[in-house]
Amino acid sequence: MALFLQILSYGVINGALYGLVALGLSLVFGVMNYLNVAHGALIMLASYAVFWACYYLKFDPFVSMILVAPTFFVIGWILFQGLFQRILRFEEGEKIKNSLLISFGILLIFSNAATMLWTADERAVTTDYTGKVIELLGVRIPYIGIASVVLAIIVIVAVHFFLTRTYFGKAIRAVSQDNEAAGWMGINTKMVCLVSFALGVALATFPGVVIALQTFNPIVSFDLTNKALIVLVLAGVGSLKGVLFGGLLLGAVEAVSVFLVGSAYREVVGLLLFVFVLMFRPQGLGGRKS
Amino acid sequence: MLEVHDVDVAYGDIQALWGVSLNVQKGEMVALVGSNGAGKSTLLRTVSGAQKPRKGTITVEGIRADTADAHKVVDLGVALVPEGRRLFRDMTVLENLEMGGYIGRARKLKEDKLEWVYQMFPILKQRLNQLAGTLSGGEQQMLAIGRGLMSDPKLLLVDELSLGLAPIIVKNIYKTLKEINRSRNVTILVVEQNVRLALEVADRGYVIENGRITMEGKGQDLLASDEIKSAYLAIG
Repeated sequence: MALFLQILSYGVINGALYGLVALGLSLVFGVMNYLNVAHGALIMLASYAVFWACYYLKFDPFVSMILVAPTFFVIGWILFQGLFQRILRFEEGEKIKNSLLISFGILLIFSNAATMLWTADERAVTTDYTGKVIELLGVRIPYIGIASVVLAIIVIVAVHFFLTRTYFGKAIRAVSQDNEAAGWMGINTKMVCLVSFALGVALATFPGVVIALQTFNPIVSFDLTNKALIVLVLAGVGSLKGVLFGGLLLGAVEAVSVFLVGSAYREVVGLLLFVFVLMFRPQGLGGRKS
Repeated sequence: MLEVHDVDVAYGDIQALWGVSLNVQKGEMVALVGSNGAGKSTLLRTVSGAQKPRKGTITVEGIRADTADAHKVVDLGVALVPEGRRLFRDMTVLENLEMGGYIGRARKLKEDKLEWVYQMFPILKQRLNQLAGTLSGGEQQMLAIGRGLMSDPKLLLVDELSLGLAPIIVKNIYKTLKEINRSRNVTILVVEQNVRLALEVADRGYVIENGRITMEGKGQDLLASDEIKSAYLAIG
């Protein structure tokens, strides 16, 4: 029983991370049908940013978010205006294909540039509380893990609040459901897409912090993008709750599989889940049928 | 109020409107009628800014609307009730209405406008927290019109409201539209396939065929004309 709870706790901790990883990707895809596969690279860059903020400025990693998040919002703004805004006018299928092309290029460039500039060495941020665990019902839970879960909850609740209680947040939902009709409401859909994209990139900060507290190198870009895509499929388009549950589901499934068949198959299980959901419930756990 | 002058509109290589001119005076209710594919919805889409004309001009109270983006046209006081309703299906009735009143000056009038919409369409007040996608066809059409009214428009464009609705519901909605036109002086341009219904409520009408305006006149006069009778009303 204690073993089961132990596995479950790791599943939840990782699951919370996966939810955070997919959040930015899901938001951008939902609003404007851009599949930004560079999202993993952006999380990787955020991890580096957190790392330096801790190393050079001596910030606590969770405090560094205050600096990193707005910075990445600006980075997202620039990326959109510079690279992604021309394809906004395309129709849905073309937008997905073209955004995939552009972002894949960015993924390669960012991850290779990071390797060239900062080497492939593994980095990690260590704090006073790294490695400390708390014992609960016979289960050992790392402090970092608890912090990650709490962060995930706070971020998702904040995003939910933004999307359901503010005019602009509702405008974002309107644009993601019917772009043209949103324009007829007087909503500046171009501006909504720009801000949503920048927000999506800024959201890379939070998984970035969590990753920074584990270990990372430029190559995590690809792993993180994979995880994000799997969770996106699990969650379905346009569902915030789905992202959380999809992340938790992936985390749980991985944790159980590690227990049953060993950690060698951990990644495979996620991909099997991905295929399974696409085959039997393509709209995802929370998505609408589209 | 609305001046459409010699407008050509094309979708790629396919031309939909040829030299279309019409006008709507302040306070009027005007109907644009014609059969399926005649170009009626294209005209409304162009006036509301979703489509740009290849030729010609569109002005609203003297200000050019054909060069403006769709969201800017709303600022000019034009609200479109789109063909097929185009509600935000995963948002509640209240949220849809709120989105209708998105622009700055409409937000200040929100409570006022909501009260007005509830007055016109009481059923919406009962269904406030329901998702728009779960409403019946008639209720959805009412919500779409209510949503259009939330931006405090000077000109309301209504595109094919009768599509997919039972005749009695359509009749009642047109009665309500007429009341909106009279009591609050909202200028209305309706586009309709149901020629009789539209011409019965309208002050004036235009007939469009194959992208060209073919007739114009007072609503009653058009209804009485032989051409309309034989072509659209299956009489004689």
